[in-house]
Amino acid sequence: MKGSIRPLTFSALGIAAVLVIWQVLAEAKVAGNALPPATTVFSTLATILGTATFWSSLGATIGIALLALALSAVAGVILGLLVGTFETVRFATLAVLEFLKPVPPIVILPLAVLVLGPTGEMSLFLVVFGCLLPIVMQTVDGVQSTDPVARDTARSYGMREPEILARVVLPSAMPYIGTAMRVAAPAALVVTVVAGLLGGGPGLGQSIYQAQAAGDYASLYGMVIVLGVLGLLFQGATRLAERRVLHWHESYREVMP
Amino acid sequence: MSIRQAPSLSTRNRKSAMAQQPETRINATTPRLDVAHLAKSYGSGEKSHAVIEDLTFTVDAGEVVCIVGPSGVGKTTLLKCLAGLHPASSGRAAIDGRPISGPPREMALVFQDYNRSLMPWLTVRKNLVLPLRHLKLPAAELKERCDSALAAVGLSHADNQYSWQLSGGMQQRVAIARALAYRPEILIMDEPFASVDAQTRFDLEDLCLKIRKDFNMTILVVTHDIDEAVYLADRVVVLGSKPARVLKIVGVDLPAPRDQITTRSLPEFARQRTEVLSLIKRPV
Repeated sequence: MKGSIRPLTFSALGIAAVLVIWQVLAEAKVAGNALPPATTVFSTLATILGTATFWSSLGATIGIALLALALSAVAGVILGLLVGTFETVRFATLAVLEFLKPVPPIVILPLAVLVLGPTGEMSLFLVVFGCLLPIVMQTVDGVQSTDPVARDTARSYGMREPEILARVVLPSAMPYIGTAMRVAAPAALVVTVVAGLLGGGPGLGQSIYQAQAAGDYASLYGMVIVLGVLGLLFQGATRLAERRVLHWHESYREVMP
Repeated sequence: MSIRQAPSLSTRNRKSAMAQQPETRINATTPRLDVAHLAKSYGSGEKSHAVIEDLTFTVDAGEVVCIVGPSGVGKTTLLKCLAGLHPASSGRAAIDGRPISGPPREMALVFQDYNRSLMPWLTVRKNLVLPLRHLKLPAAELKERCDSALAAVGLSHADNQYSWQLSGGMQQRVAIARALAYRPEILIMDEPFASVDAQTRFDLEDLCLKIRKDFNMTILVVTHDIDEAVYLADRVVVLGSKPARVLKIVGVDLPAPRDQITTRSLPEFARQRTEVLSLIKRPV
């Protein structure tokens, strides 16, 4: 058990060190009023946690991020399977997809706000825009990395293409899709917040913007801390899900006694 | 050990075969597997590259035929043509007189790379079930097929394990069990025992002969191991390169049942392996 306690100890020490440095820098007024001390931020955070508005914006943020993530996953995997399987679809779409892939969602934020307004739909659209393409591209890679021997095996047993796609190609591509989801989950959270911060979409992003506009820096940092914790939870949840779904994969296999 | 050919299936195959080519089934001398002037080349025009040129041989019902030849001769390509995975460029390959145009229902394939051919996300039993799903069998028959196939290869205890938790020899047994559960009449094996250790290899060779005996299976094995070919086969098809062509078909006249120790120490065994070896070693 020694192995599991030591990393925990060091993590705690690391966090404590950051908090101490923060406290010292804030007391020294290095950033003026823009950086309140950690103690102030935490006591403000405790107050915020007692308000209904905080919980509804937290719910909006989580809801938008998760819904967008689910939509991106379903649409991305289906699109990826099609693009990866059919050459005609690949040639028709790959140039467009490769072109759109490096475009960050923030670039099209003004357009999204103009068309959809400062709404939840706008945030949802931006998050899907940001998450969909990486999932599509990873799925395509996964499809194309399917072992030809596995495909030949399925074909030799008279399995038809749709069944091979669902029962051989899709599971083969799962490690790639898992990686894409692990990257997409925190990204979904970030884009949801950005859409609220800069585009006026509902959620914690909007609350942070309002706190900033009101000069309420303690609340601002309090909510940033909440976001950080939320990010860790998203990351942990996707890791856990990945480990469960891909328990058979080389990187997760447990050696039999 | 009671995998028997499902009668309904054989009858159905026979009926459909008769419907297509009435005269062929009636002729008792029609070989199960008939390969005539088969050729396969990849690419077209000037870039065309012949892998197989004019192969002719037959496999009779219940026979074990081994194909040997130097590596890279096109043996795997030949099997893919026979399994209906690749179309032949010219010539013909037929089962019971019916030309092979897609994966034939009465045939099952065992690949050399068991770890690539078995699905790592499925347990042993689910690997067996995977190719059977589209047959829409009743649940009881599905279970019975898997149970008896696993029993036939001695892996009844491993059905809930994943293939990657098993040794190489056991994994290849799973691949063979998957083929048996499909209830084929012809088993085609591509270098099936090339990736296992020598002792396991002997065990799997004997398993192969047992399957022939128990299920009256017709078996075609591609191997580069001449001793293995002579030990297993009723006839050995010796291929030369390149492109692949039949050098000679050697009839193996060794008594049954074959045994790893006594058969391999017979003077006749040595004579036959020498004959095959000298064909392959001969400068071409």
